[in-house]
Amino acid sequence: MSDVATATLRAAAEREAAALPPLLLRAEHLANTVLLGTHGRRRAGLGDEFWQYRPYQQGDSRRMIDWRRSARGDQQFVRQREWQIAQTATLWVDVAASMRFSSQGALPQKGDRAQLLALALAALLLRGGEPVGLAGVHLPPRRGRAQLLRLAQHFAGGSAVPATADAGLTDYGLPEARAMLPRANAVFVADFLGDTAPLEAALAKAAERGVRGVLFQVLDPAEEAFPYQGRVTFESVAGALRHETRQAGGLRDRYLQRLAERKDHLSHLARAAGWQYHCHHTDQPAQAALIWIWQALGADQGRG
Amino acid sequence: MGGLSQVSFVTPALLWGLLLLPVLWLLLRAVPPAPVRRQFPAVILLLGLRDEDSSADRTPWWLLLLRLLAVALVIVGFAGPRLGGVGSVTTGQTPLLLVMDASWAGSADWADRQALADTLLQEAEATGRPAALMVLSELKPVRFQPAAEVRGIAAALVPHPWHPAPDELRRAIAALSNVPNRVEVAWISDGISYRGQDELLSVLQQKGGVTVYQGEAPVVALQGVDLTEGNVTVRAARSASDVMGAYRVQAHGRTPDGGAQVLAVAPLRFSLDEVSAEASLQLPPEVRSRITHFQIAGYGSAGATWLVDDRVRRREVALIEPRSEGDIPRLLSPLHYLEQALAPSVDLLQGTLTDMLPASPDVVILPDVAAIPAVEKAALTSWVEKGGVLLRFAGPRLAGSDLARLYDEPLMPVRLRAGGRQVGGAMSWGSPKALAPFGPDSPFYGLRIPSDVEVRAQVLAQPDPDLARRVIANLSDGTPLITRKALGQGQVVLVHVSADAEWSTLPLSGLFVQMLDRLAISTAHRSPDPAALAGTQWRPVQVLDGFGGRQPASTQTAVAGEDLLTAPLGAGLQPGLYETGSAGQGRQLARNTLAGDQSLTPAVWPEGVRLQNLQRPAPQDLSGWALALAVFALGLDVLATLALSGQLLSRIRPIAGVLVCGVALFAAGELRAQDAGEDTRTLPPPEFQRAASQLLLGYVQTGDPAVDEMSAAGMRGLSRALYARTSVEPGAPVGVDLSRDDLALFPFLYWPVTADQPLPDTTGYERLNRYLASGGMILFDTRDGDIAGLNGVSAAGRRLQQIARPLAIPALEPIPTDHVLTRSFYLLQDFPGRYRGRATWVEAAPASAEQIEGMPFRTRNDGVTPVVIGGNDWAAAWAVDDRGAPMVPIGRGFAGERQRELALRFGVNLILHVLSGNYKSDQVHVPALLERLGQ
Repeated sequence: MSDVATATLRAAAEREAAALPPLLLRAEHLANTVLLGTHGRRRAGLGDEFWQYRPYQQGDSRRMIDWRRSARGDQQFVRQREWQIAQTATLWVDVAASMRFSSQGALPQKGDRAQLLALALAALLLRGGEPVGLAGVHLPPRRGRAQLLRLAQHFAGGSAVPATADAGLTDYGLPEARAMLPRANAVFVADFLGDTAPLEAALAKAAERGVRGVLFQVLDPAEEAFPYQGRVTFESVAGALRHETRQAGGLRDRYLQRLAERKDHLSHLARAAGWQYHCHHTDQPAQAALIWIWQALGADQGRG
Repeated sequence: MGGLSQVSFVTPALLWGLLLLPVLWLLLRAVPPAPVRRQFPAVILLLGLRDEDSSADRTPWWLLLLRLLAVALVIVGFAGPRLGGVGSVTTGQTPLLLVMDASWAGSADWADRQALADTLLQEAEATGRPAALMVLSELKPVRFQPAAEVRGIAAALVPHPWHPAPDELRRAIAALSNVPNRVEVAWISDGISYRGQDELLSVLQQKGGVTVYQGEAPVVALQGVDLTEGNVTVRAARSASDVMGAYRVQAHGRTPDGGAQVLAVAPLRFSLDEVSAEASLQLPPEVRSRITHFQIAGYGSAGATWLVDDRVRRREVALIEPRSEGDIPRLLSPLHYLEQALAPSVDLLQGTLTDMLPASPDVVILPDVAAIPAVEKAALTSWVEKGGVLLRFAGPRLAGSDLARLYDEPLMPVRLRAGGRQVGGAMSWGSPKALAPFGPDSPFYGLRIPSDVEVRAQVLAQPDPDLARRVIANLSDGTPLITRKALGQGQVVLVHVSADAEWSTLPLSGLFVQMLDRLAISTAHRSPDPAALAGTQWRPVQVLDGFGGRQPASTQTAVAGEDLLTAPLGAGLQPGLYETGSAGQGRQLARNTLAGDQSLTPAVWPEGVRLQNLQRPAPQDLSGWALALAVFALGLDVLATLALSGQLLSRIRPIAGVLVCGVALFAAGELRAQDAGEDTRTLPPPEFQRAASQLLLGYVQTGDPAVDEMSAAGMRGLSRALYARTSVEPGAPVGVDLSRDDLALFPFLYWPVTADQPLPDTTGYERLNRYLASGGMILFDTRDGDIAGLNGVSAAGRRLQQIARPLAIPALEPIPTDHVLTRSFYLLQDFPGRYRGRATWVEAAPASAEQIEGMPFRTRNDGVTPVVIGGNDWAAAWAVDDRGAPMVPIGRGFAGERQRELALRFGVNLILHVLSGNYKSDQVHVPALLERLGQ
């Protein structure tokens, strides 16, 4: 590689990396607030960390006796380590045009919130030693802080790993269910407003491989409340879909009914695949959402 | 406001546009409101949903009505609606002839007249009638022009200070012959009748209908000013007597340094059925002589202004000292009584004739001077001939001289017999003679003769044919006491007794003063005889304009003396101040508007003349209101449209902005008024309100927070000490901002001086000086007692010098051992603060403060020192925190605490000195203090 090419690449990388720290920082910040409240497995098992001393019992191998501790008294103690097991997590974050929407200037875009949550979750998981990756083939699960940087780079759009080819062009994203590791955890963050057939297919595929996970729906409050009146032409973000009404207020009830049906359907799909479903609004605090996901994953692990 | 029938339109054709409104209605109904484009990701859920009803695509009827109303208002507004005015008086197409008196009598309400003329011409302009203006006080050829041009002429018109002259009116009548026969005449009269008015009216009545407009208030003018015994009486007349009238007469004049000033004001009340009134002003002569003119306050008219010439001026009287030998005691000086009598009312000049005559005094008094050198005599004679008054007194020298014995002496009114005579002396038979009552021709006529005036000696006049005419006062035996003769324009008066009390008791009596007053001053009061003015030329100095304003005369020509006071006023003879002789030296005469007690006759109009008053409502233009309403309706339409399309809430912010702007524009005027109102009612901050009800110690805020905090703590500590030890119970101290706060509430200010403190601004210095002058005390503390003396070597010391330079600080001295500060509460020798430093300075004792033998203190009973200056950082020594614990360590150990105690004692002494002054310096307390001092 010539020097010029290296320099160009480096400059581009630095330019892109400039967008990185804020997102990463916010995600780490968010992850920190959660970590304080919730702990890891909290049980003895395979691992490096000291967990507890317990009295020597019948059946324990003598090699397990911690002699240094036992020498202090008459009783023998066994040193236990905390149970550490790698649980691969696969993230899928919708990057379609419909996520680039925010009804008020003060609210974040749905996509921003989704990426923030995903990255914060990744940070938490990575800190817990889990391999985290993106659904699909571009960013396979890996451990370590470097993976967090790669993820952040990906979300910022600056990675060598291309985002899905249709990112930002189509109105609604397609769930990615390829290359999922068996018995891994999966987190799908999207608005799930598009056609549900690809989602059903993806969930079916995941269920086949024993993948459990979370369907996390991010909606804008306007999508939940439909506060429109009068003569309005509604357009999708990418501009492909359009609906004109003379009295938007008259549509509200029927719209809300359809939305409720969609949520119900999603919840149903999730349950059928052994997944969990949650709906989050961008005007709600991101921390609550993160805690919900974290506990959903933890509870899942605890169960399994 | 009249009914709708009074509304007319400038361009009624535009109203046809209202027919378009139904079309507009149909158009507006057909077009639904435009849709709004919105991004909405969940649009996929909306696909296939149909609108339930299609009613919203039509604009609602009330919104349509609002829009139609707005359009209709715009059409009506541009059609120019007017309320009232048009067509109420002037009708038809006949030309309008506007006749105006434009004399001084109408200038008081000239604005009304001008507005009326403008209204009339405006109406003529609106109906396209030609108009002509005829100003009777300044006649020009009558020419009919488009009314718009005449409006311009009428707007520039000013009233003249004279009435229309009869011969001018005759010419006007002659000029009217070429005026078309069908005109409408509007005569704006001043309400005063003058010669020729009736003839003009009859001619005008032949031309067409005459409407006379005149004001309802009577015309008021000043008729004259009389001076009697120091009283100035201003006479005024008015044209109608059917109402009461209260005015104020102002005497305007110069201040001693030459500025203009209202010297006195007197009420002028016309009672019912009276056409004349008098106002009386009591004025001391020196004020009277400064009066330039009288004026009726707030009544701007040449008739209401009365110019004053040198008939009431303070006159200059030259007293010529007789050449005397040796030093005569004052009471024996012949000049003494004259000085006493004349000094209050005239300007006295004393000296020799050669010195006095070039100053051209009004009167020269020669007491008992017989021999005058020939050169001086010639000068004196020519001075008298030019109008001077020579007043001579007899005496031993005159009696003993040969003056005017054998021939007529020009400077003596009569020839004298040798030697004079003595009556009532030890060697004579007769008794002292009294004065005979003054005859009606005498200038002294009317003066009461006191019974104790008697004459013991006199000089006697030679019997002459002219003698009887020249005598103006006699003794009871018929011998002349005072004789007078004219010489040129002046006169020579001889009093046949001496000016001192040797020959008579006359100089001792009040009559002497009155007689001198009449001779020396009031001789000029009477109006000069027109015949006496014949042949003189009078140059205008100041002329009055119609409003009574005094204008410097520039273009007016000189006036012959015989015309000055009697000829009718006109463009050639304006009321004003006229002068003859050399500029600034000669005589001045005033010609006023009402000459010779003229009265004011109200104008009487015959039957057939329509009489109206001046107020005429101008047509009110309503187009502004209509357009404003249209804008308002359109604004409502915007709001309603937004509300209908559901955008009202989302755009609430810009709309609110627009509304706020609109409201602000509408209410701008009102808001200003409220601002002003609030300014005047601004309450001082609460601590200052507290200071008004309670004693508070103040400190000057330096801008350095640490210093200010220390000052506050120091004042707090001192306040606590005062509260605990004395009956002074101050509240919490207050920091004072010199540029903003009122200092008057604080008896005492502590001012810590820092090196970088900003200087007070001008208002701050004014406040400080007022504060110091009204008894406040400032303790300047440079807080550098450890390092510096008061010679300004420290930065704070230099700053103090800069700060104090504009302050009115008296001379200072270090506190002397007998200063009240050493004993106003505690007995102190020393005034330490945080530092036990150098001297503390107070106002220096007056040089007159003497140490009395046996007294420990000098008598210093007056004045609290306005400043105390030192550098001992007292605030730090006094400072306590909220719990009362000292904040700053002072010195070391017990000695330090003792120093703090002494500092507090100094503070207590200081405050008590401020509050009780030098009470402790009172001698009453000296014994007790002595006892305590152990002396």
